[in-house]
Amino acid sequence: MRPIYLNLIIASLFSATLLMGCNQAATNEKGQDGEKKLVVGVTMLSMQNEFIVNVHDEMAKKAEAAGVELITVDAERSALKQVEQVESFIAQNVDAIIMNPCEVEASSPAVTKALAAKIPIINVNSETSIKPSAFVGSDDVESARIAMKFIADKLGGKGNVLMIHGYMGQAAQIKREQGAREVLKQYPGLKLLAHQTGEWDRAKGMSLMENWIQSYGSQINAVFAHNDEMGLGAVKALTDAGLKAKVIVVSIDAIPDALQAVKKGTLDATVFQNAEQQGSKAIETAIKAANGQAYDKQTLIPFQLVTKENVAKFLK
Amino acid sequence: MENGINTYVNKVGHSYKTRLRGINKYGLMLAFISICLVLSFITPRFLTIQNLMIIVTQVSINALLAFGVTFVIITGGIDLSIGSMVAVAGVVAATFAHPDTYPVVVPVAIGLLAGLLFGAFNGLVITRSKVPPFIVTLGTMTIGRGLALILSKGRPVSNLSDSFNFIGGGKILGVPTLIIILIVAFFICSVILHKTVIGRYMYAVGGNEQAARASGIQLSTVKMIVYTLCGGLAALAGILLTSRITTGQPNAGTGFELDAIAAAIIGGTSTSGGTGTMTGTLIGALLIGVISNGLDLLNVTSYYQQVVMGTIIIGAVVLDSVNRPGTE
Repeated sequence: MRPIYLNLIIASLFSATLLMGCNQAATNEKGQDGEKKLVVGVTMLSMQNEFIVNVHDEMAKKAEAAGVELITVDAERSALKQVEQVESFIAQNVDAIIMNPCEVEASSPAVTKALAAKIPIINVNSETSIKPSAFVGSDDVESARIAMKFIADKLGGKGNVLMIHGYMGQAAQIKREQGAREVLKQYPGLKLLAHQTGEWDRAKGMSLMENWIQSYGSQINAVFAHNDEMGLGAVKALTDAGLKAKVIVVSIDAIPDALQAVKKGTLDATVFQNAEQQGSKAIETAIKAANGQAYDKQTLIPFQLVTKENVAKFLK
Repeated sequence: MENGINTYVNKVGHSYKTRLRGINKYGLMLAFISICLVLSFITPRFLTIQNLMIIVTQVSINALLAFGVTFVIITGGIDLSIGSMVAVAGVVAATFAHPDTYPVVVPVAIGLLAGLLFGAFNGLVITRSKVPPFIVTLGTMTIGRGLALILSKGRPVSNLSDSFNFIGGGKILGVPTLIIILIVAFFICSVILHKTVIGRYMYAVGGNEQAARASGIQLSTVKMIVYTLCGGLAALAGILLTSRITTGQPNAGTGFELDAIAAAIIGGTSTSGGTGTMTGTLIGALLIGVISNGLDLLNVTSYYQQVVMGTIIIGAVVLDSVNRPGTE
């Protein structure tokens, strides 16, 4: 008896999803028949990441305003999936592709394929080893330079620093480490006590900081975290241990939580990466490229240091 | 660390095996103590009250998940969806935990309810269909992650009330609340598993399902209870995590299921069902925490930490398979 029940449920579920799928397909066709609408395929690194979602939301807004149809897919951090998604965009013969690459090397075949199919491909936010039609983003090395420079200035070029890495081996982690180390080299008085990964995660950053407090205690003068989530975790651990007043914490991204923390004075500074501008410039470039107009091969959006003094400007 | 009931398909008497089993029973404790001793010799910062409290605090969330999954594994099942339940419960609770909205009981209750319902759904599908728990919970793991993202619109839910943040981040008489909650939960779970009828049924179902059915045990009831319980504990862990980091994150808890299962297995819970204890699981979780804390104190890079952890898991399972009777 029971299996029949279950089969019925499953069958109805399946048909429901199928119907929904048909619906969508139908509207898509209508859109294309009605007017010559530009279609841009978008593949994003991960729609679970707030910053990436912000970049995408701005693109969607700008696209709607310009009457461009956006097909967005989530690569879920898998470069393999991303390459397949670009292949399917090519098969659908979209007018332009915007890719937010998962990996420097592994996402590169997608660029090669799109260029071979003569579809302009724009990389947003991070790079691939093969040059796309255009790049819109910011230089991650610079963000870390800004953050570490702030620490150096605050400490007068002398003190003990801890660094919390993102996922080891990811482009953002590598570049942010590179930028931080460049500044450390300029200030021989700054000593890197320890560095360890917090995997971009607030709870992990917090645990790591708790353990470091046990190891180094009052020796710690400053912490640089590769992103705000981990920076906020470190702030929490330092506050709980009653050490926050003596330790400078700086991180990158300027997510809303971090801005609030900067305003409250718990996080000393964050580095603002402009998601809105990245999104809007990416879609602008894609439209120009699709229409065969001239466009910039590289658009670099500058970073900005956010401290208590200027945080009001960034809070919406 | 007694099971209360021996549910082996027993080939009686191999004395050398009983001896090995004895090593397993005390071996874990021994391994744990010796690792602690070694660490306290290498670094003076390890064996301080403050550091030990930090270890237990860090371990508590994984331990709660591991308790839940221990119930499930003892009945011969598995639950891969606990990490996603952490996210769902965390996001749900955070949504109701903004300052000056509801009293703190509301987010906690609703978060727990979400986890219990999710767990019950797992149990329902597993008992009503013939699909193995591995596959069902693999599916609900993805569903749960999606739900957490939908409910939070892909963004962390922040700005939580102080009273909510106190639950997982506060201290009572100098003792972190997480430690107190862990002790209470451990006590309750131990009693359920070792002192109640339903606990004995769990061992019976995992030891030999046919025999359990033949002796009149309602398999589906036991399984429903086990998965619901696991969901409740995962939700508790999710609420505590949210409170500890003062934000409900849709991508929280990713990979937690593996740590929790590892803790249970290191603690001597057999993946083939029928054996396992709460004390073992607690020590398993503590062992993981001690190693990661110790390696952090020694400033060992996380690459090596992963290798060490993997080796310990395999070691524990090898010990377990040596101990299982009648494998030849």
